[in-house]
Amino acid sequence: MREKNRNRLNLVLVSSFAGLLCWPVASSAQSQPRNTEWPSYGADLAGTRYRPLDQINAANFSDLEIAWRIKTDNFGDRPEYKLEGTPLMVNGTLYATAGSRRAVIALDPATGELLWIHGEHEGKRGGAAPRQLSGRGLAYWSDGKEERILYVTPGFRLICLDAKTGVRIPSFGDKGEVDLKQNDDQDIFPDLITGEIGIQSAPVVAKDTVIIGAAFREGMTPRSMRNNKGYVRGFDVRTGKRLWIFHTIPKKGEFGYDTWEKGSAEYTGNTGVWTQITVDEQLGLVYLPVESPTSDFYGGHRPGNNLFGETLVCVDLKTGERKWHFQLVHHPLWDMDISSAPILADITVDGKPVKAVAQPTKQGFLYVFDRVTGKPIWPIPEKPVEVGSVPGEWYSHTQPIPTKPPAYSRNGVSIDDLIDFTPALRERGKEIASHYHLGPVYTPPTVSKLEGPLGTLTMGTASGGTNWPGGSYDPELHNVYVYACNSCIEPIGLVPAPKEVSDMNYVAGTAGKEVVVLHGPGENAGADSPKPPKKRQGSGYISLNIDGLPMVKPPYGTITAINLDKGEFVWQIAHGETPDVVRNYEPLKGMSIPRTGQETYNIGTLVTKTLVIAGEGNVTTTPDHPRGAMLRAYDKMTGKEVGAVYMPAPQTGSPMTYMMNGKQYIVVAVSGGPYSGEYIAYTLPSTGE
Amino acid sequence: MRNLAAILVLVVVASSVCVLRAQAPAAESRSVWDGVYTEEQAKRGEPIYRKECALCHGDMLTGGESSPPLSGGAFLANWNGLTMGDLFDRIRKTMPQTNPGRLTRQQDADILAFMLSVNKFPSGKTELYRQSEMLREIRFESAKPAAKK
Repeated sequence: MREKNRNRLNLVLVSSFAGLLCWPVASSAQSQPRNTEWPSYGADLAGTRYRPLDQINAANFSDLEIAWRIKTDNFGDRPEYKLEGTPLMVNGTLYATAGSRRAVIALDPATGELLWIHGEHEGKRGGAAPRQLSGRGLAYWSDGKEERILYVTPGFRLICLDAKTGVRIPSFGDKGEVDLKQNDDQDIFPDLITGEIGIQSAPVVAKDTVIIGAAFREGMTPRSMRNNKGYVRGFDVRTGKRLWIFHTIPKKGEFGYDTWEKGSAEYTGNTGVWTQITVDEQLGLVYLPVESPTSDFYGGHRPGNNLFGETLVCVDLKTGERKWHFQLVHHPLWDMDISSAPILADITVDGKPVKAVAQPTKQGFLYVFDRVTGKPIWPIPEKPVEVGSVPGEWYSHTQPIPTKPPAYSRNGVSIDDLIDFTPALRERGKEIASHYHLGPVYTPPTVSKLEGPLGTLTMGTASGGTNWPGGSYDPELHNVYVYACNSCIEPIGLVPAPKEVSDMNYVAGTAGKEVVVLHGPGENAGADSPKPPKKRQGSGYISLNIDGLPMVKPPYGTITAINLDKGEFVWQIAHGETPDVVRNYEPLKGMSIPRTGQETYNIGTLVTKTLVIAGEGNVTTTPDHPRGAMLRAYDKMTGKEVGAVYMPAPQTGSPMTYMMNGKQYIVVAVSGGPYSGEYIAYTLPSTGE
Repeated sequence: MRNLAAILVLVVVASSVCVLRAQAPAAESRSVWDGVYTEEQAKRGEPIYRKECALCHGDMLTGGESSPPLSGGAFLANWNGLTMGDLFDRIRKTMPQTNPGRLTRQQDADILAFMLSVNKFPSGKTELYRQSEMLREIRFESAKPAAKK
């Protein structure tokens, strides 16, 4: 009841606020060819991030200048330093989420002038949200007359706005909102205010159906093996009525329930779809990339393969009914959430046309399927993998490993991967590695022990390979372009969970380090709980870098072009300037080191008629530019860099492009470190300038 | 008299300049390589980090899916050329994410000291300041200055 009252109050505030800032946009509203606009998060529902524009090209990319910019500091009660949005541009207006309140803003695409703003004051519910800040974006819908903007607040409410004014559509849901914590085939616990569930990705609208997934907190050290479940739902874009639901953890009697032994489907949670969803409107099919179940690194409380954890699921757009699925990782233990949008591609394999779906992953495999049948385009056989020895854990003895294309980033750690600029550095790398268990992809986590191993040293797991920005696809050349972190090392060790921390047997941790304890007033360690491990004397942290240098050799981050007709690489390059710490490292002075690329997982690519465009994820200071990062353009045929333009901070949201009044623009979100969020629009100088 | 006054003014100005000159190099010479925190302070910071920060930034400061690393090249590059005041302000304004500003200045300074120690910046005899204005006097430099070897 208190919840209702709060919403009503906010509605009044929001309406007044939006009303004050509402200007007509009719002057700029004109119909344009859709391929000069950017009407959904991934450019289209196929997740291509492709527009066939070529006003900005190899000859002039470096001439780009800032057309307009907008800081997001005031769209919330504090600045945001992690702006991850990609705006939309449709029918003469640019829309974006912005700021720590996840406000929605509408801008003039040519000038950046603010047309309207909408914000929701969610109080405690927003403050308790698992996925805060501005999120990745929003969705646009029109029936040719009405235009609507849809987004999900941090507090997990679906809001429907009039795209012309920013005012809620009263006929949608309850006065313009649908409470996503309700009508979810589960009771969100402990309550609607603090119950852990939310989403940061942009909604998808296809054929009048809005599709929404779910996200949770980071799952390394959960307080419990029990959590809310991340079901996926479809809603009517006109009324907000729920049309269907897909149970990512099957209910009793549903297909896949028996992959959760000992009844673990009843209490296990997470398993949401927190990243972008892809739709083939013609086929009426939706592609759901599902994340890991509770918890990321220990699955002893959920024996079995755990469908649909880390599974690509195809469901019917009208009903949500499962059509096919393919589990990429059985019994997930590495946090290999399927983390980005599946990419739809119409390709030609062995002379035959195929409607395909390609899935980039953290583990650096690009899984390619016939998107109608779910059959792999190239064989993905089950291969034996190492079985671990963590007490109580359940292991899959095989994992499906694609035969084609080859892995496009490192997904294991071996001595050969370690830094090798000099023999001395290699020795230091080996010394660090000696404290860990090493192995190829799907080497399981270990219990962390002081005498070693401290854990399994992994790459291509929690933060490796391709994360939420995903890839791009060029329908002309049938190439996927995808950034990958090739050096994001993740040590995965497990320690017994003290009872006051979690009811799980094991959680992520390191021997000798106290497990994170969240004490309440008067709380003491339980009599029967494991004693906190003794602190390691004098050893301190084992740093996974060497004087700041990554402990593996370059390239640290890459962009790979993969041809989907053949399943082969076209080119692969190191993306990003060599980091300061490498260029300025005294023992390396005088050595000729090719560009190394950078260690980051925030990089989304954009593909145009001729270019692949992506910004850098790290700050550098070089003789050519002050502190900042570069937005780089590559020839999409060869990968050769053809231009670059300065940004004051790293790219944190994927770039997009559009035409407005005869000019092409590229908009990119930048932020990080001391630089608060900002959208920057680049364009070419006008003739005569 | 007029000459005397002029001389006095000159003396005062000259001595001010001398004082400024004497102070300037001292202020400019402080960087994270000059022992700007104590080991004791870093030890105090570790449990606070583990309780307040590790859930997102990781047990080993390697970052998480939604949180940047607080050690290594990307972290050093992000702050290189700025000051400890900039880093301190960023923490004060935005962390912990669920309730920014909840920690005291002392706690934030202790966490920073712990982060410096993990990143292998040397400890010293005085604790890291608790005020941004003072911390702005300490430059964050990722590369060890040649003279300090």
